Amino acid sequence: MDGPIPVTGPGQFYMLRTPTRWPVLLPRPFSLYDRAPDGSWGSFLLKGVGPGTNALLDVDVGEDVLVTGPLGRTFPADIEDPVCVAGGVGLAPFLLLARAAKANDRPVRLLFGGRDRAALAGLEDFEPIARVATSTDDGSHGHHGLVTELLERMIERGEVRAGETVFCCGPDPMMHAVAKLCERRGLRCFLSLETYMACGYGVCNGCTVEVDGERFRGWPYSKTCLEGPVYEACELVELRS
Amino acid sequence: MLATRLGTLQLTNPVLSASGTFGSGWEGREFSDLSRVGGLVSKTVTVKPRPGNPPPRILETPAGMLNSIGLENKGADYFIPESLPKMKQLVGEHGRVIVNIGGESIDEFVELAERFTAAGVDALEVNLSCPNVQEGRLLFSTSPQMCERAVAAVKAVTDVPVFAKLSPNVTDVVEIARAAAAGGADGLTAINTLIGMAIDWRRQRPVLGRGIGGLSGPAIRPVAVRMVYEITRAVDVPVIGVGGIQSASDVLEFLCAGAAAVQVGTAQFADPALMVRLVEDLERELAGLGRSVGELIGSAHPEAGPATPGQPAAAGASAQERR
Repeated sequence: MDGPIPVTGPGQFYMLRTPTRWPVLLPRPFSLYDRAPDGSWGSFLLKGVGPGTNALLDVDVGEDVLVTGPLGRTFPADIEDPVCVAGGVGLAPFLLLARAAKANDRPVRLLFGGRDRAALAGLEDFEPIARVATSTDDGSHGHHGLVTELLERMIERGEVRAGETVFCCGPDPMMHAVAKLCERRGLRCFLSLETYMACGYGVCNGCTVEVDGERFRGWPYSKTCLEGPVYEACELVELRS
Repeated sequence: MLATRLGTLQLTNPVLSASGTFGSGWEGREFSDLSRVGGLVSKTVTVKPRPGNPPPRILETPAGMLNSIGLENKGADYFIPESLPKMKQLVGEHGRVIVNIGGESIDEFVELAERFTAAGVDALEVNLSCPNVQEGRLLFSTSPQMCERAVAAVKAVTDVPVFAKLSPNVTDVVEIARAAAAGGADGLTAINTLIGMAIDWRRQRPVLGRGIGGLSGPAIRPVAVRMVYEITRAVDVPVIGVGGIQSASDVLEFLCAGAAAVQVGTAQFADPALMVRLVEDLERELAGLGRSVGELIGSAHPEAGPATPGQPAAAGASAQERR
């Protein structure tokens, strides 16, 4: 895209690709992390996990990146005071949401987990504007353990009650664990999925997940890029046991 | 300068979308003015809805990607009222609407050809060769007799041009091309994806849900160029070249190999506005050369005359030219 970053909802994403890092061919999807109010800049949270992400991390200042978006659906906008649960770079969709909540004087609750302190990149952006609790696998920051344990503890203390809503983004095993916990405790749960995509705009049919729900009108697969990446956990067949 | 034709079908320019890589175009409408492309080729439409293959369905590989979508589509009953009018709207007055049909039997091909002819299309592309379905359809792409019968059956029930999409997964693509021509094909689309596989050795399982998939992207471009060249030297039917096109330079390469038009596939996953940019770039390149599309078709064939003097294009030049 040339020009300003459009207004983007929490959970919406952009496809990013460096045009010159042969032989990486396909763009990769990333939630927009932050955005200037006038759209003059935007930022993304990247972690190198393979050739595509590493090529993007190698980009120098001033180099062109092909950016397509905003794409996909946001976390539902009508939920008041959701509990946000993030793992690692799964933090990305929550900053815009946290800023909006802060502006309305309802600082968002964020539970943020990672392998270690270094995996909690972005924490400092949230600390002034959200109610944050952290966990690390190695105990280097916050609770020594899993982020799901933080959520469970809040439920036990009555700080989160049945009927409330959790927004979650992170690695698959973490999202599965959070979804299961929410199901057990009677919480609604929305997940922002990180699926492998080729196009991001609905033509490759590669990013599908198995779904069941009224909005899919009987079709067993859903394109994450168009109908997601945010799904209610109960819509995802993989999470049913 | 850009105009070309496939049998009786006139195109304003040689750039078409490749089946299965641009849906019916609707999702791409916001990224560029699709009335400027030569035409749109739909994702394969089948008689009955097909949910497609279990995920994971795609994987990027060196300079390409594997896919095993499995012809996911909602079937002709959905496509004709919902998607076909949108395709017509997108291409406008001058662009062509080509519907790709996939039958599991001759009867199904005939049914689809009849229905789409009645619904109004500019041409039909017969998918003889999707590697991602298990039924006996493989025979249509590998057996010359079955290929000829399928094409002839479609030709018998339609008055629009019929293009046969060929599989590269055969020993001798020219033999199949001849069979399709004998069946009356007005054009040949070459090539579909190459069958491939990737294995996750940590899990000791194939990466894709279905195991095998079709390889596309720049990795297969030399294979596609070679097949277009071989087919057009042997068979007197126009060929639509497809396989790994990313730049106007790649389009020109296919034209010189003998293609009368091209289809753009995998590369528009990365850049949804690519087709229109290729049309613009192609116009500029041709103006620089002082040649028309028609003059370049098959110009690399030895019988076409002496080579144009000039600097040879560096190997891989097109890769560096990309934006």
